[in-house]
Amino acid sequence: MLTVTNLRIAYGGAEVVHGVSLEVGEGECVALIGPNGAGKSSLLKAVCGLIKPTAGNIVFEGADITGMAGHEVARRGIAMCPEGRQMFPEMTVMENLRLGAYRRRKEDISAEIEEVMTLFPRLRERASQMAGTLSGGEQEMVAISRALMAKPQLCIFDEPSLGIAPKVVDEIEDTLVKIKALGVTVLLVEQAVSMALRVADRAYVLEAGEVVAAGTSAEMSSDPRVQRAYLGA
Amino acid sequence: MNRLCMLAVTTALALLPQMATAAEKTLTVGVSDALSGGGAVYGEPQRRAINLAIEQINAGGGVHVGEDTYKLKTIEYDDKADPTEATNVARKLIDRDGVKFLMGYCCSASTGAVASIIGREDVIMLVGTAGARAITAAGNDNVFRTRPPGDYSGAAAGRFIASKGVKRLGVLATRDVALFTQYRDALIEAFEAEGGEVVALETFGGQDRDMSAQLTKLRGLEPDGYFISGYVEQVAFAYRQAYELGITAPRYGFSGGSAEQFLSVASSEALEGVWDLIAIEFNADALGDTAKAYAKAYEERWDAYPTPNSAFAYDQVYVLRDALEAAGTVELDDVKKALRNLAVPEETVLEYLPVDGKMFDPKGQAYISNGAFQFHNDKWDFVTKLPSDSAAYSAYFQTITK
Amino acid sequence: MLVDLIQQLFNGLVIGSIYTLVALGLTIIFGILGIAHFAHGSVAMFGGYLTFFFIQQFGIGLFPAMAVAMAVGALLGVVLERVAYHPVRNAPPINAFIIALGLTLIIEKANLLVFGVDQVIIPTGFDRVFNIGGVTLPELRVYILGIAAFLVVAMTILINRTWMGMAVRAVAQNRPAAILMGINVNTVSMFVFGLSSALGVAAGVLVGALFAVAPGVSGGLVVKGFAVLILGGLGSIPGAIIGGLVLGVSEAFASAFVSSAYKDVIAFLLMIGVLLIKPEGLMRRRSNR
Ligand SMILES: Nc1ncnc2c1ncn2[C@@H]1O[C@H](COP(=O)(O)OP(=O)(O)O)[C@@H](O)[C@H]1O
Ligand SMILES: [Mg+2]
Repeated sequence: MLTVTNLRIAYGGAEVVHGVSLEVGEGECVALIGPNGAGKSSLLKAVCGLIKPTAGNIVFEGADITGMAGHEVARRGIAMCPEGRQMFPEMTVMENLRLGAYRRRKEDISAEIEEVMTLFPRLRERASQMAGTLSGGEQEMVAISRALMAKPQLCIFDEPSLGIAPKVVDEIEDTLVKIKALGVTVLLVEQAVSMALRVADRAYVLEAGEVVAAGTSAEMSSDPRVQRAYLGA
Repeated sequence: MNRLCMLAVTTALALLPQMATAAEKTLTVGVSDALSGGGAVYGEPQRRAINLAIEQINAGGGVHVGEDTYKLKTIEYDDKADPTEATNVARKLIDRDGVKFLMGYCCSASTGAVASIIGREDVIMLVGTAGARAITAAGNDNVFRTRPPGDYSGAAAGRFIASKGVKRLGVLATRDVALFTQYRDALIEAFEAEGGEVVALETFGGQDRDMSAQLTKLRGLEPDGYFISGYVEQVAFAYRQAYELGITAPRYGFSGGSAEQFLSVASSEALEGVWDLIAIEFNADALGDTAKAYAKAYEERWDAYPTPNSAFAYDQVYVLRDALEAAGTVELDDVKKALRNLAVPEETVLEYLPVDGKMFDPKGQAYISNGAFQFHNDKWDFVTKLPSDSAAYSAYFQTITK
Repeated sequence: MLVDLIQQLFNGLVIGSIYTLVALGLTIIFGILGIAHFAHGSVAMFGGYLTFFFIQQFGIGLFPAMAVAMAVGALLGVVLERVAYHPVRNAPPINAFIIALGLTLIIEKANLLVFGVDQVIIPTGFDRVFNIGGVTLPELRVYILGIAAFLVVAMTILINRTWMGMAVRAVAQNRPAAILMGINVNTVSMFVFGLSSALGVAAGVLVGALFAVAPGVSGGLVVKGFAVLILGGLGSIPGAIIGGLVLGVSEAFASAFVSSAYKDVIAFLLMIGVLLIKPEGLMRRRSNR
């Protein structure tokens, strides 16, 4: 479904992603793990069209989307739940959710609203509250729901557990499992590696802008390097 | 033989330029006036009036100065009523064009700037509509003005308002134009001397078109008369807003605008009955046959009715002609002397009130009669002359310098 | 005394409603693009002249003329965005700043060339004056308040209740996230310039009917508009609405109770006061952005 080939990204001459290739198949859940500053978010932004890569290719559902404008990528069915949640702070939770369905604005979206409200019952209480006033965990729920509202073919999560209370992290893990069960293709970036490997089918390890390991979640969990570096074994 | 030959050649050479020009000499006068921008409503009519007078004089045979006869011609520049621009224009006229006589000058700020430097120059400056007192009060011996200073009319207006039975006067006036502030202060002084009371003095700035707040405040003080002064457009807006505020007490004003200028801003209902208390500028009803003839000639020449202020400039030209003819030379010192002793020229449109039989007082200031005009059926009706004492004012005028 | 107070309040609200219209346009442009669009006042004056021209030339009524002028203004706004601001969208802010100043001069001069230097007063025929217990309500001023209120409500509905309006707010509040939602920021920019310029034109027409369209008016309008922005909070729509009315009423009250000489100073005193006490503006929460 998504094929990234030899992708290079630079910020003002300083290259931070040095020729990364990865693949996400239809219906799969793929984790991308690695330390801070490895270039994970940069890679995701390039996929979503927020930044332009300096070299390489991104192909989504058979079409080359390299360097395509962000809103075009979104309209093709890639949704992202970005790092830091990126709320529309002075809009209500409901408006944030509706904006998630912007590409489907001509359709009836009440069923999807109902769906995410069932997924996160807390949002129902908060529906008319300004998103900027929510707690971090609640904002993450809004961010995830907002991404789902697009009914995307591919849903990308960038560190959904970052800065969230541990209890809520469990809740998020449950949700990711549910989303996977719905048949949505998922690309998950996480530093909570054990959680990511529990949820994902396969995983890539990105370090300093290069893929240093890849394999199924089981393989990765038993890889001594991964264990040492990320699982605290 | 050789000597004789030299003498003959020298004499011939000396005569040559005179012979070449004896047929027709030309005297160039510089015109500096606001020909664009807000001041153009005063400046452009002045320019037209000057040209009309010059054409009349030239058609009548020109100016006879001693043995010579001069035709007049102009060099004209737009000073935009702007002080810097007007100073530049004056420099251009004096230094580059070599002009000795300057005229026009409709607006106080620009004219004041030129007047403040002109004392050092070898020129004569004839000022028209610009009314700020300092222009002549400063006492430069080469500045002459046809329009009287604002406060000369203001005092007469203050007495007039009191004589109409107004006891409590609300005043709304522009705050930063000397002509209007001096008029207003003289008016208030005379009005209070007659036993009247000014309930409040409200002001507005040069760009303001909304005086509702000030008028509302005045209305709350319940005066039995209002006095509003400033440039035409702003005063017209004030009358419009006074009408909107339901103000019906008598409204006196000082602005000197034409009926069309007022009607372009305010409705006839809003203007009905308002007074303008001004020096009697050109007005065919208030002034006699010369004024009517002037209006006719102006209309024929320019296809427009002369504005009230235009005659200040028209009269300048005849003043210059008479002074040149009286001096019998174009030498500046002699012309200046002639101007000081000048009797009022026959052709002038306005009604000048000479001091000691002379048109200009020692400071080069002329005085005209003041009048009360009232707006009625979309035009200004001349109602009455205001009692004006030019000699008394002139005596006071000699004691001040700004 | 009470009558005067109410009268001043009414006067202030009328002027304030015009300030609000000007500020609304400035604030949505600032919110979306971070541009101080100084040329807004000149666009407003252009609309005023155009309306006058339509009325004189084609003999159509005020409202149709105003509607057409607003449409032309919207188009002009879109063109300005495309031609002037779009090319520098990724350059440092100083570029847009210089462009804004240049545009102001160009439009101002164009107005002079096309429409001349004379002041123009838009004829309305609304000359009646209503009197309610001593408070006088001139017909024209009542309509101005009504038209401004209508436009503010229409714009609020547009911004709050339509997808386009949601997109506008989304871009203003979080541009990258808006792109992730599939919102085309270019379209939103053009829409915002169109909407803002149409509102500016409306303000220009109201100024032209109540006072005059003339060279030099636009500068004053823009200064007041930005004063409102600082009062109400940069980029805030409720801030522009409240700020405009507050400024208008403050000016009227300043004339009434302090001195008419300080009427214009009051805008700046208010601005300084707000900057000292609540720097994020009257209508913004401290935490945001
Ligand atoms: N906008 C930016 N400008 C310059 N450098 C950036 C920018 N964003 C990220 N970087 C740099 O790129 C590298 C990768 O960052 P990022 O993709 O955010 O990593 P990760 O998400 O894996 O933590 C880091 O060294 C970071 O400092
Ligand atoms: Mg990251």
